[in-house]
Amino acid sequence: MKICVWGEELAAWIAAAQFAGFGNDVIKAGSEMAPADSSNRVEPGLMEQLQHSIDAGKLVSNEQEDPFSADIHWLAIGPGELEAATEIVARIAAVHTGQVLVINQSNLGSGASDQLQQRLDAERDQHVIYLPDMLQAGQAMRQFSNPDVLLVGCEHEAARIMFAALMRPFTREGTELRMMSRREAEFTKFAITGMLALRLGYINELATLADHVGVDIETVRDGMSTDPRVGPHYLAPGCGFGGQHFTQYIEGLAGLLSKTRGSTLLETVLTQNEQHKELPFRKLWQHFHCDLSGRRIAVWGLAFKPGVTTIDGAPSLKTVDALLAQGAIIQLHDPEALEEFRFHYGESEQLVYCDEPYDAVNNADALLLLTAWPEYWSPNYTELHRLMKDPVIIDGRNVYDPQLLHDLGFTYYGVGR
Amino acid sequence: MNPDTCWSNLRDSAQILKKKHLSELLSDDTRFDTLSFSHDGVLLDLSRQRLLPETVDQLVALAEASGLKEKIDALIGGARVNITEDRAALHTALRTPAEKSLEVDGVDVVAGVQQTLQKMDKLVSILHSGQWRGYNGEAIDTVVNIGVGGSDLGPLMTCHALEEFKPDTVQGIDLHFVSSMDGSQLSGLLSRLNPATTLFVLSSKSFTTIDTLANAATARQWLLDASGLEVETILRHHFIGITAQPAKACEWGIPEQNQLLFWDWTGGRYSMWSAIGLPIAIATGMDGFRQLLAGAHSIDTHYQQAPFKENLPVLLALAGIWNINLLDIHAHAILPYDGRLAHLPSYLEQLEMESNGKSVTLDGADSDARTCPVLWGEIGPNAQHAFYQLLHQGTEAVMCDFIVPAKRYTEQSQTLQEQHRLALANCLAQARVLALGDKALDEETASAAPPWKRYRGNQPSTVILVDELTPYSLGQLIAIYEHKVYTQAVIWQINPFDQWGVELGKKMATAMLNELDEASPSTTLDSATRGLLGRINRLRHDSESA
Repeated sequence: MKICVWGEELAAWIAAAQFAGFGNDVIKAGSEMAPADSSNRVEPGLMEQLQHSIDAGKLVSNEQEDPFSADIHWLAIGPGELEAATEIVARIAAVHTGQVLVINQSNLGSGASDQLQQRLDAERDQHVIYLPDMLQAGQAMRQFSNPDVLLVGCEHEAARIMFAALMRPFTREGTELRMMSRREAEFTKFAITGMLALRLGYINELATLADHVGVDIETVRDGMSTDPRVGPHYLAPGCGFGGQHFTQYIEGLAGLLSKTRGSTLLETVLTQNEQHKELPFRKLWQHFHCDLSGRRIAVWGLAFKPGVTTIDGAPSLKTVDALLAQGAIIQLHDPEALEEFRFHYGESEQLVYCDEPYDAVNNADALLLLTAWPEYWSPNYTELHRLMKDPVIIDGRNVYDPQLLHDLGFTYYGVGR
Repeated sequence: MNPDTCWSNLRDSAQILKKKHLSELLSDDTRFDTLSFSHDGVLLDLSRQRLLPETVDQLVALAEASGLKEKIDALIGGARVNITEDRAALHTALRTPAEKSLEVDGVDVVAGVQQTLQKMDKLVSILHSGQWRGYNGEAIDTVVNIGVGGSDLGPLMTCHALEEFKPDTVQGIDLHFVSSMDGSQLSGLLSRLNPATTLFVLSSKSFTTIDTLANAATARQWLLDASGLEVETILRHHFIGITAQPAKACEWGIPEQNQLLFWDWTGGRYSMWSAIGLPIAIATGMDGFRQLLAGAHSIDTHYQQAPFKENLPVLLALAGIWNINLLDIHAHAILPYDGRLAHLPSYLEQLEMESNGKSVTLDGADSDARTCPVLWGEIGPNAQHAFYQLLHQGTEAVMCDFIVPAKRYTEQSQTLQEQHRLALANCLAQARVLALGDKALDEETASAAPPWKRYRGNQPSTVILVDELTPYSLGQLIAIYEHKVYTQAVIWQINPFDQWGVELGKKMATAMLNELDEASPSTTLDSATRGLLGRINRLRHDSESA
């Protein structure tokens, strides 16, 4: 089958790689031929499969082939890009007179897939299916190729048959297809994301409380996850979640809830998340008795999560704003996001951009760890201690062992421990 | 002409005009055109005053004979017009644009004013960006202004009036005002506020005002208890001091970087244009505050330059002189027809009565003339359901100021615009009925009514109409009243800038504080005070031992 895949999300790359691997002719539209985010590039099995398919001529770019020549389109674009999606579908409708299947895997909000359907002609067997993106980083190739269950928002039998045919290679081992309306499927995705945000909000609230009552939230979380009703997922306390997509998507849901139901549950989670992003700053502020003027502060990790160059909504922004306002000197390091950060802030006497993590801690009064990049997990502690003026570590992601750091002579602050 | 001649001419006119009903005067179709005056978006309508255009000329002659022109120049030029305290009254300098200068005793006061404005600007932008941090590192989101009199009424009135001018981009700051010395406002507030995110602004010209310091001490203790931190840390992050006495503020513990200063030559009731206006700048942004200053400055220039016959503050003052000294009216109601101006009546009560509530002239003699009337007021439509009865059918003659913006809610819902139309209609109807009485009705209906449904009318009023209520127009409005007060003081030859009557009470209260703990009241006290002290001390003693 000839499939065109749109978007830069992980789901787009996984779909492109998997379809091409099973003999389909795939056009990857609207991007370079490799994922921009390093977090996607490190997805196990992905890059090998992409390269293999490109070499075999099964995966081509939109420069090599007209994307609208395909009659199956896979949309995995970012939230908030409904306009772009609408344009793509309108163009498909203009080009095709016969059968078309659009599988929408983007989080464009409730009702978006119905809107896209309106651009197509169902009479001519042109259909939109909504397939919520359930892939988890790290296991995405396996989850795509062998899903236990697929939630399918599909309202037409012909579309279902076409979709089943497309997915046959991946659903042979008894994958259950849960059929529902597009709106229901979209709402389900909304509901899941909201639930995850609530869990993060909850664990962060507990972490704040743990700080006050003197227990280690990591031990508590470990205990919590032994209850099968709770489970281990989305319970890592930290200095707030960021990222344009996740936050934007939850903001959409929060807005919907508060507008139609007067419910502030998710708004509260978002507000508290913003406050939580300043947690490392607050710990630093308290440690130095409310005076940070002239202090030299090292910051490790600027991206909103490991594996990306993006700083949208990252805790580093709030932290650095606060430190700048207090007259501190900030020495920054990030394996990938340093340039974006420099672009955002420009040059300043208070900002020192460092290419090496150990340059950033040189002569520092404290080190803040804000993004859990793998290279920060096991530093050379002796070197760290030697370089720092005052061995204070504020661990915004709870990656270090408090006892070990204490024994090595560091003053350690974590999140809820 | 000397003032005596002017007064005598005016008395002659009054003899004639006292007999004329306003309905008669208003039958002249040109009256509105000849007796309404406008400048820079403000209209002053005196056509419902019980006077004629010729009377205005006579009143202007009185102002000229009183040396008003020279006195205005003296005021704005920085002369020591406050003779009992031997200092200038330079509230006009507080709103003079940066490019100008004014030397007083060899110092450029405008430069000093601008420096303070810059420091305010810096503080406000730190607060607005969410970077003023409390003791646990959270951003300050609540500001409590502790001050009384001039350090309370101006900012309170203005912040309430300009609430909707909050800049969109700024982090929301909740503002509260605390003034009462008994702590009743503060105690309720503290139970609701988060100490970690609350900043107190202590506003006191002398930094010795007991009302303010008592509230400040309670606030400081609240923060110390909540934080468990040292007092220096708390004072550094949770208190700003605004004062003309930096040494006293330092003594109390306000660090220098948290002090905003103003000067001896700024009277308390004229101080909202100074650093005392910090809450206004927090509420409206520095741009809003500067607009307020610009509006006032526009009136300052007008006051100094316009001929008296077109000079709004002078004309407003002269209408008052006519009513008080020639028609013998000694009650004055302030009636804004806009809920945003709810605190304007109490602001003007202080401005007028504390300034001109005097009976000794500049040369120390008893004043022959009646001076400031009793002022009070309320949002007009609300007062219609309260004291308007007295205005319509009571025995007292009362002069009224109706204050109203022509436009409101221009970008909001139809129903809200309709509500403003309703307010406008009521304002116009009340001014009309107060003037005309029964004559507003057709003759037949009026004469058929029983005595208790008859309306005397003939109550004089002024309408001040602004295009819209904005920081600029509010600045104009307040400056008009300030200069009105000064103009009347010049004509009455009194000092509007001291308040010795207030000082005595303060002194006596300090002495009385000790008496409250004495077993038996001092014999030097009068019998009424001794009697009350005895009873209070017994009651307090009983509750302690119970």
